[in-house]
Amino acid sequence: MSEVETNTARTEPIPPPKRRPVWVRFAKAFMEMGWGVKLATIWLILICFGAIFADFLPLKDPNYQGFIYGLAQTNENPSGTYLFGTDDLSRDIFARIIYGARVSLVVALSAVSFGLIIGGFFGSLVGFVRGRVDTVVMAGVDVILAFPGLVLLLALVTFLQTRNLLVISFVIGLLSIPPYTRVARANALSISRREFVTAAEAIGTKRFVILWREIIPNVLPSLFAYAMVAAAFIIVLEGSLAFLGLSVQPPTPTWGAMINQARKDIRLVLHPVLFPSAAMVFTVLSLNTVGDWLRARSSVRGSAL
Amino acid sequence: MRVARKKTRGAVALLAASALVIAACGGDDSDSGPATTAAPQTSTTLDQQNTEIEENVDERVYGGQVIIGLEAESNGFRPWDDSCSTNCYNMSAAVFDKLLEYSASGEYVPWLATGYEPNETLDEWTVTLREGVTFHNGKAFNADIIVDMLPLQREGAGGSASITGSGLLDIEKVDEFTVKYILGRGNVSFPSFLERYGLGMVFDPEAAAADPVGFDSAPVGTGPFTLVKRDIDAETVLERNPNYWGTDSQGNQLPYLDRLVFRPIPDEGTRLDSVVSGTVDAMITLRQGTIRDARAASGIKLIEFQGNNTGGGMFNTASPPFDDVRVRRALVHANNQPAVIEALGGTGISASATQWYSPDSPWYSQKVADAWPKFDLAIATELLTEYVNDPARSDGLAVGSPIETTLSCPPDPTLIAAMQVVQQTWEATGLVKTELTSFDQATHINMALGDQHHAHCWRWADEGDNQSGLATFLAPPELSVLNFPNWSSELASASFALVQQAGSVLDFDTRYAAYEQIMLNIATEVPIWYSGHTAIAVAVVEELDGLVNWTTPDSSLGSGIRGGEVRWIGVWRTGS
Repeated sequence: MSEVETNTARTEPIPPPKRRPVWVRFAKAFMEMGWGVKLATIWLILICFGAIFADFLPLKDPNYQGFIYGLAQTNENPSGTYLFGTDDLSRDIFARIIYGARVSLVVALSAVSFGLIIGGFFGSLVGFVRGRVDTVVMAGVDVILAFPGLVLLLALVTFLQTRNLLVISFVIGLLSIPPYTRVARANALSISRREFVTAAEAIGTKRFVILWREIIPNVLPSLFAYAMVAAAFIIVLEGSLAFLGLSVQPPTPTWGAMINQARKDIRLVLHPVLFPSAAMVFTVLSLNTVGDWLRARSSVRGSAL
Repeated sequence: MRVARKKTRGAVALLAASALVIAACGGDDSDSGPATTAAPQTSTTLDQQNTEIEENVDERVYGGQVIIGLEAESNGFRPWDDSCSTNCYNMSAAVFDKLLEYSASGEYVPWLATGYEPNETLDEWTVTLREGVTFHNGKAFNADIIVDMLPLQREGAGGSASITGSGLLDIEKVDEFTVKYILGRGNVSFPSFLERYGLGMVFDPEAAAADPVGFDSAPVGTGPFTLVKRDIDAETVLERNPNYWGTDSQGNQLPYLDRLVFRPIPDEGTRLDSVVSGTVDAMITLRQGTIRDARAASGIKLIEFQGNNTGGGMFNTASPPFDDVRVRRALVHANNQPAVIEALGGTGISASATQWYSPDSPWYSQKVADAWPKFDLAIATELLTEYVNDPARSDGLAVGSPIETTLSCPPDPTLIAAMQVVQQTWEATGLVKTELTSFDQATHINMALGDQHHAHCWRWADEGDNQSGLATFLAPPELSVLNFPNWSSELASASFALVQQAGSVLDFDTRYAAYEQIMLNIATEVPIWYSGHTAIAVAVVEELDGLVNWTTPDSSLGSGIRGGEVRWIGVWRTGS
């Protein structure tokens, strides 16, 4: 009886494992996080939500300077009317932080996208095929990486003379490609020696298919983990540009520009510097925390391969 | 055509442009170029409560060292070649003597010269020189020195700019201690050139010619201090010249201090903190926000000065829609000066400007002040409505659509703040779209020189007589690269004729009437706009005295810290 049942079971096709909905998987992952990671995740969700839906939230006009018309005070302390107070032009700091998140996140997202898509692809490709292509591409990457990043960025931004969000995102995005290429290549080199890649080659699978189905999917977790850390770096980089007056033109709010503009009054009032600085610190810290958590998870999975 | 012409004059223009702009545009301020005759200013020594305090001239003491924090490194010690800023004047006036000095009463009075006299047509100026003066290397000073300096001044950028500006053709030796400056045209403001860097500071021409580059680190002048160390961007050290010829009003030999140390400390806050903490003994600032902070600081003395120099901007009148006076007047009516000054941190420090002269200047006109367009959004909107609905509007945009402007300032936080205020008030009319841009100072200036500007932050007027500055500003654009707004209407031509007329007479009333009419013409067609007069301050430790009440050799009261230029020759340190 048992023998019959066993034979029957073997002949039936194995059903694919039931994949849970995204929100369920996210909820499960969230529950597995430590408190620090949970707080970081919540902060990032709030920042992203604010940046995306700022126009629909009950916020004050981030650029309105009421003091010109005697309707507001400059550098006003936090209050019920102005949650984070006002800046040197009597603008609502809370609204400017929310709107300022847009610039930081758009720049970070574009840099991550450039890095993941272009850097990730080329890195995976050269790490897999190796040979002359690898030598040429990595030589180019090394040359770009040899330049001090901020100096190169300053030179490009100055040269272009146009500083809107698109240009800033594009320039930072371009400069993000080399590090991702390096990370992807390193992972691809390792993965291309794994048994499943060897097996695929042995059965005559086309190299492009191997790259697409075996290499890139296994490089991605490491790249995502790196992207979180890199995004934090990019936010600081954009902040540095803005602090130097070389990011998006005013009056578009950016955290770096807010800090730069408020520093001239730092002897008088602290909150116009404090709040945008805190927003940047918490965001960078959160990205690093979540990035570390992701890296730890991807390492576990890697070892399980 | 004009652009090409401007390019050929780029080098000279850059120097002169710096004169008008740099301080306003943040960062390092260049010399405002040669000033011209009388314009007395007030210098007031203030304590924390802004009450006037006296300097005790009976407690003058010898010895001691003063460390001075500067906004930027000085351009150099080569008067015939370098451009000179506030920082440069602080250092170079300690090493070189000027032929003339600017007095508290607004006159140019003798210093290394003993007198000067023009002819009737003001195109020959005879200057008598002081006898018994020697250079740091022991060489005697006489008329030959002045004559021998001229070839170097002709070749150098700074000198040649002054020669061009003053109309100087030649210098003749009359006797051992008398020279005659021969000009190509009458120039009432010529004495001002003998008080500035390019023509006025006396150096040893032989030493300069022998090693023009090395002269920067081994300058030879007749001044009260000699240079002992020149570590660019770090520290410049001067020591007392024991053989200096000058004495104070009581006959005591000058200078009082043994040593001056100049250190560039670019960050405003750090520089002020350095004085408060005693790391340095003195600092100079042209920033209203820093003056505000210095007023609140304890344990220091603050000496403030407010002169003609004013911030603001200009419209490129060759570029639509600024070629239409309705637009310009509308935007000036929409400019809320007190709000701009507040954004600059200057509320209670800097007064709103309406002309090239501060209320303390003898050239100031209340009539002009009354005529200057006041902040009034209703008038601004009315004028703009008229323009945008004009089928013949010059910018070629559709009738009824807002005008489009680009406003550019250098990327200094205070200027960026002020720029945003201007943008908001312009756009409050609902008929203006303003894009803000900012570029580094050199690019900002070059944009104006190359006619690539639209609405542009700029600085107007200087601390002396503005005759020369006005003449170059009002000259037709095809003749003068310094007519930055390209102002070329009938009123502009009439203004140019007036300034030429003013430059050929000594009579104050005639000149006053001419300048007043010019300022009225500017208020009518508004090729430029103003924010506030520039406040300048020197913050020093309490032990320093003698910054304000210094006197010239003929016992005239000096001009205090005019333009942030401290005469360290007259400063002493109590307790040294």
